[in-house]
Amino acid sequence: MPRTDLSAATALCGLVLLSATAGIAPARAQSAYKEAPPGPGDADAPGKKPSDKFAGPSPFAPQAPGVNAANIPDGPPAEPGEATPAVEQISSHPAHDDWPAYGRDTDATRFSPLEQITPRNVGQLTRAFIYHTGSKPAPGQVNKWAAESTPIKVGDGLYMCTAMNDIVKLDPATGKEIWRHEAGVKYASIPYTAACKAVVYYTSSTVSEGEPCHNRILEGTLDMRLIEVDADTGKLCEGFGDHGQVNLMKGMGESVPGFVSMTAPPPIVNGAIVVNHEVLDGQRRWAPSGVIRGYDAETGKFLWAWDVNRPDQHGEPAEGQHYSRGTPNSWATMTGDNALGLVYVPTGNSAADYYSAMRSPEENKVSSAIVALDVKTGSPRWVFQTVHKDVWDYDIGSQPTMIDFPGQDGPVPALVVPTKRGQTFVLDRRDGKPILPVEERPAPVETDVEGDPRSPTQPWSVGMPRLGLPDLKESDMWGMSPIDQLFCRLQFRRAKYEGEFTAPSVDRPWIEYPGYNGGSDWGSMAYDPKTGVLIANWNVTPMYDQLVTRKKADALGLMPIDDPNFKPGGGGAEGNGAMADTPYGIVVSPFWNQYTHMMCNKPPYGMITAIDMHTRKVLWQHPLGSARANGPWGVPTYLPVTIGTPNNGGPVITAGGVVFVGATTDNMLHAFDAKSGKELWNDVLPGGGQATPMTYEYKGKQYVAIMAGGHHFMMTPVSDALVVYTLPDNK
Amino acid sequence: MAGLYRPRRASEWATCAVAVLLILLGLPLLIMGAELALLGGSLYYVVAGAAIIAGGILMLMGSVAGAFLYLLAWLLTWPWALWEVGFDGWGLLPRVLGPTLIAVLVVLTIPVLRRLQKTSLAQRGIA
Repeated sequence: MPRTDLSAATALCGLVLLSATAGIAPARAQSAYKEAPPGPGDADAPGKKPSDKFAGPSPFAPQAPGVNAANIPDGPPAEPGEATPAVEQISSHPAHDDWPAYGRDTDATRFSPLEQITPRNVGQLTRAFIYHTGSKPAPGQVNKWAAESTPIKVGDGLYMCTAMNDIVKLDPATGKEIWRHEAGVKYASIPYTAACKAVVYYTSSTVSEGEPCHNRILEGTLDMRLIEVDADTGKLCEGFGDHGQVNLMKGMGESVPGFVSMTAPPPIVNGAIVVNHEVLDGQRRWAPSGVIRGYDAETGKFLWAWDVNRPDQHGEPAEGQHYSRGTPNSWATMTGDNALGLVYVPTGNSAADYYSAMRSPEENKVSSAIVALDVKTGSPRWVFQTVHKDVWDYDIGSQPTMIDFPGQDGPVPALVVPTKRGQTFVLDRRDGKPILPVEERPAPVETDVEGDPRSPTQPWSVGMPRLGLPDLKESDMWGMSPIDQLFCRLQFRRAKYEGEFTAPSVDRPWIEYPGYNGGSDWGSMAYDPKTGVLIANWNVTPMYDQLVTRKKADALGLMPIDDPNFKPGGGGAEGNGAMADTPYGIVVSPFWNQYTHMMCNKPPYGMITAIDMHTRKVLWQHPLGSARANGPWGVPTYLPVTIGTPNNGGPVITAGGVVFVGATTDNMLHAFDAKSGKELWNDVLPGGGQATPMTYEYKGKQYVAIMAGGHHFMMTPVSDALVVYTLPDNK
Repeated sequence: MAGLYRPRRASEWATCAVAVLLILLGLPLLIMGAELALLGGSLYYVVAGAAIIAGGILMLMGSVAGAFLYLLAWLLTWPWALWEVGFDGWGLLPRVLGPTLIAVLVVLTIPVLRRLQKTSLAQRGIA
């Protein structure tokens, strides 16, 4: 694949530029370029004479107390090992009534065979119960909440994690809390968002039925722990890690709470827990590593690491060493493939998302890609890249879905990969080759960011309908009146815009569209394997970006999270970022009118689409979400008009023929007819429904559950309510 | 009829207010519209802004021609808006809704301006 042939040259150019410009770097130590990760004897290492200016901490600095939240002694570095042989997990063949995994099953189909709720009776849904998780901002705390949780249901339990990682088991019929494991996550450990997408159900191969921890609930935490508790009692599994916990900060080097965190459920593939983590975007080039690691699901023992810039070392770093800094992180939910022994890792960008001159060729090969890792060794078997040299934060946020692709000579094991670009790639799981055609099309290369050339081409999945609208035009600008519309037209003309891959610029803003919240962010898709219908909800949310010189970034007060003066909200993942160690900071905002807080482009901002995978034709597609809770200056209009709002959270499809999706900023749960797309029912939630709903049956009744936790970035109301619906008894 | 008229009745004050409103709304259209035109964008806004401001000034001077100038600009806005976005409701909203509401106000000023003009002519006739 000629995809990364530029990378070596780029890295070289970047280094030349950096050495050339190092002399004119501004005086503040924080601003200094660091062309390579600081070494053990680095001038900035703590222990040097204290300075009143902030110096980037050396990655070799010992982790401060609290970074290892489990307080577990590290012990010697572990060698690579193999997982305890596993028994088949229930998520491979879920019981009819259950929803045993985040994406319902190992394939992540979000398809339920339940058919009690149908297009005919869905209008009668009423609330069965509301469960309050207790996790929401305390008075005085900056709201960083967005629970994003989807409960799982196995047998007589509904299991979920709260936004702050407490694990609970609920009665599926009443919502009564049966047990709670308090994780003790501190506010400081919240990265960009307090989120916990789901817990993982695991059946032990060594502990026999009836013993404690035969069935276990596993979660990854915001403060980088793996926790396993007994599914019946919620008590820690003593045999796992250190009394039930594994410290994932081991080998990560210097860090601060909130810099790295887990928000997605780690899949267990053939006995190996595969762990990825979010590294807070936009902080510094030499942020903690994006390493992917395997741990034994039985014992919590380290198995292997895949560290992009140490490709041949699969063990833990030697004493005093750490995983390579600034490598692409993966924060999406991964998909495990027990049959092929692979885990599909959706990757993001190297640290410092909007500047690519300092990335290694190895990083350039695997960023914004699907990397299929062998779960025995941690070695990549194949890589498919969705953006070359990504500087648009088009990282992959969604969980890929495994399907049997209806091919000409029978079904092909396929992986459907949603992206923020709205390009949906369909790959052969065995070798990563596209099943549907992918074209390398020319991309704009003109940029004033010296030494950071762009890729001349980018991949387009031309065999799948595009989940996006055409490129923006001046006449697409919008407003309430000609004046605010004119303001947006002017903003449009002032910016650089050459389509989806407009290269970053320093001298003027550029428009990033579909944008980092565009297409499918983390919501993922739903697939009905019986009908071959794929459901996707997606966003149309352009961003207005500009690279700023280090001097200006300093003037704007942009500082990385490990700066002692850092304040929450002073530069997070989805906004302005210091991008310390690079020549530039980044200023990012939605492409909106900052006076009215209305988007500059005309509606819709969110859509939902059904695609027939047999023909790859769009069955139906329409705007998703009403204007009721949105309006100029943030004032709700209460208009029941479907305008199409931004949406975060995935869909669910049922054999009953109903599609459920929350996600929208109108704070509603919506039900659609899977055949026609007609909206059949909706209900206003107590908070924003930025989570994927799920459905289950218990004692003969079908339920639909959604976490209405809200989302701080989507500006929807925060709540701690899990809302569960069912049909009235006299149906 | 050089110079501004002195409003006496409530209807004249209201007419005066509409004229000032036109000028206030026309100014951003003119200024931002000029920059937009220079950047290669639509010429509509700078032209419309100029017409609306001129209309407002004429109305302040008690001339019914000011009201008709605004209404002409409003009338021509429709074919322009339809040319830009067709019959797309969301697209038409910012382009024609506000101007149409103001057009209603302007229409209401016509009888007042007519009367003012007559009075002024009559006064001049006496003088």
